[in-house]
Amino acid sequence: MIDLDLRLHRGAFPLTVSIHLAGAATGIFGPSGSGKSSLLHALAGLLPVDALRLVVGGEVLVDTAADLTPPAHQRRIGLVFQDHRLFPHLSIADNLRYGLRAPAGRGPAWQEVIDLLDIGDLLDRRPEHCSGGQRQRVALGRALLAAPRLLLLDEPLASLDRGLKRQILPYLRRIRDRWQMPLLVVSHDLEEVLSLSDELLLLANGQVAGQGDLMHLASDPARLELLHDAGLVCLMPGIVDHHADGLAWVRLTGPGHAHLACANCTAPVGSPVEVLLHPDDLILARPPIGEALSLTNRLPGRILQITRSPSRCLVAVDLGADRPVLAEVAERAITALGLTIGDEILVLAKAQAVQAR
Amino acid sequence: MTPETWTPLLLSLEYASLGLALAMALGLPLATALALGRWPGRDVVEVVVTAPLILPPTVLGYYLLVALGRSSPLGQAWEGLTGSSLVFTPTGCVLAAGLAALPFVVTATRRAMEEVDPRLLAAAATLGAGPWRRFRTILLPLARRGIAGGCILGFAKALGDFGVTLMVAGNIPGLTQTAPLAIYDAMLSGQDGRAAGLAAFLTAVGLAVLWLVNRWARPQRPRDGAT
Repeated sequence: MIDLDLRLHRGAFPLTVSIHLAGAATGIFGPSGSGKSSLLHALAGLLPVDALRLVVGGEVLVDTAADLTPPAHQRRIGLVFQDHRLFPHLSIADNLRYGLRAPAGRGPAWQEVIDLLDIGDLLDRRPEHCSGGQRQRVALGRALLAAPRLLLLDEPLASLDRGLKRQILPYLRRIRDRWQMPLLVVSHDLEEVLSLSDELLLLANGQVAGQGDLMHLASDPARLELLHDAGLVCLMPGIVDHHADGLAWVRLTGPGHAHLACANCTAPVGSPVEVLLHPDDLILARPPIGEALSLTNRLPGRILQITRSPSRCLVAVDLGADRPVLAEVAERAITALGLTIGDEILVLAKAQAVQAR
Repeated sequence: MTPETWTPLLLSLEYASLGLALAMALGLPLATALALGRWPGRDVVEVVVTAPLILPPTVLGYYLLVALGRSSPLGQAWEGLTGSSLVFTPTGCVLAAGLAALPFVVTATRRAMEEVDPRLLAAAATLGAGPWRRFRTILLPLARRGIAGGCILGFAKALGDFGVTLMVAGNIPGLTQTAPLAIYDAMLSGQDGRAAGLAAFLTAVGLAVLWLVNRWARPQRPRDGAT
């Protein structure tokens, strides 16, 4: 649980954030220049602020009004940077040891961190002899071993290519689940933050433009453009149910029993995956539809929310999964189909348009 | 070469070493302050510290004599404490050598420290390292090659100092007559062989130093793996 009140300015650019975050992990996203990185650097004590009050789990870490402004090295707020920032003259082991806090039993244990991040083989190497993904894992481990009271991740995956991102994300989820460490993750890429947290914070122009889950963020027409620019996607957790005819059938977790067919998914049966749906790729249809359609995925659902802005319309549909799915449709389609909240609807998607990983 | 040929060489090595030590004791903290801080008077200090590079040695020697001579407050205080004068003694030689080395030590150290990525220092801070630990474990190790290069150059410069040494320490054989002064003396008194021997020695040291600096203090080329 995090309470955060921050005011700062960099030149003529003001940043004002006043929020209460209930969950352990929060994803912060927004266009570049929105103040995401400044927010994290200010919390870590690397950027001068006009005013800051930061309470994590009931503990007041910083309060400028009460003259409680410890320097960065006394805050115990970890920060993992976009560029790993490993110390080039130290071995991986010495990098990991750099912030190690002495008292045993406090914070993540050495061996556990090394095992969890798969960095045991790297200990004797220098950072220059590690790959980009390895370095970023070491940087994560180094921050964890310093036993931070709050861990900040500043675009931790931005310097990695897509393949490497997919390799690192599970490690971030492990960190989140294993230590329940309060986590703020910044990214300009919505997919990354969604993969780590349901609780989102949307920043734009140094202000909080929205806070809540994706559906809540999508409820305000004024935010649709921002969401679109951040690469709006839906991520639905699920489990591979079976393979048939070259397709993987994934059962979405949730009260319903929605099954989705994905091409290009080789994960074995029973393994947990995340299904990635782009709102642009989804089609809405009123049931019943005949058999004259080539689409594999026809998921029955109920309309939860319709958001219209002059440039785009977004329809949130409950498929009986943990998260609703968002479909982008043309305004005239909404009128033509007469869509309203509560309607039973079919969500159609090609198996090719559904990714699972 | 007689033993008396070697005396100025040994004196030169001794005074240059002590001078370098003095320049490092003064120059390293100063260079750190110049590299890391913005403080009033910083520009002035910077100019003053590097002035020995371009001012005529006689001018420097004159200032030193005025500041440290037997009639100056500093000179009298030193004489009261130690019983010996600051000038026209080996102490004067060490001061002259230190002054010659100081600009090299300060400039090289400062540049080496400024080249250390400040983002690494920020990362160290978030890992709980205070200013002193960041200095010791990040700044100094990463700047060490540049610092070493500056010290080696400073040593060579101190070894070759002529004008300032002559002004503040005189040219007393066996006491303050360093190798460069001895060469001058030898030339004036027609001891060409002696002058040649000393000159060859100083040349060898100078070239060796340049070789060392070029080879060892060369900036490390970052080798980047897959990123």
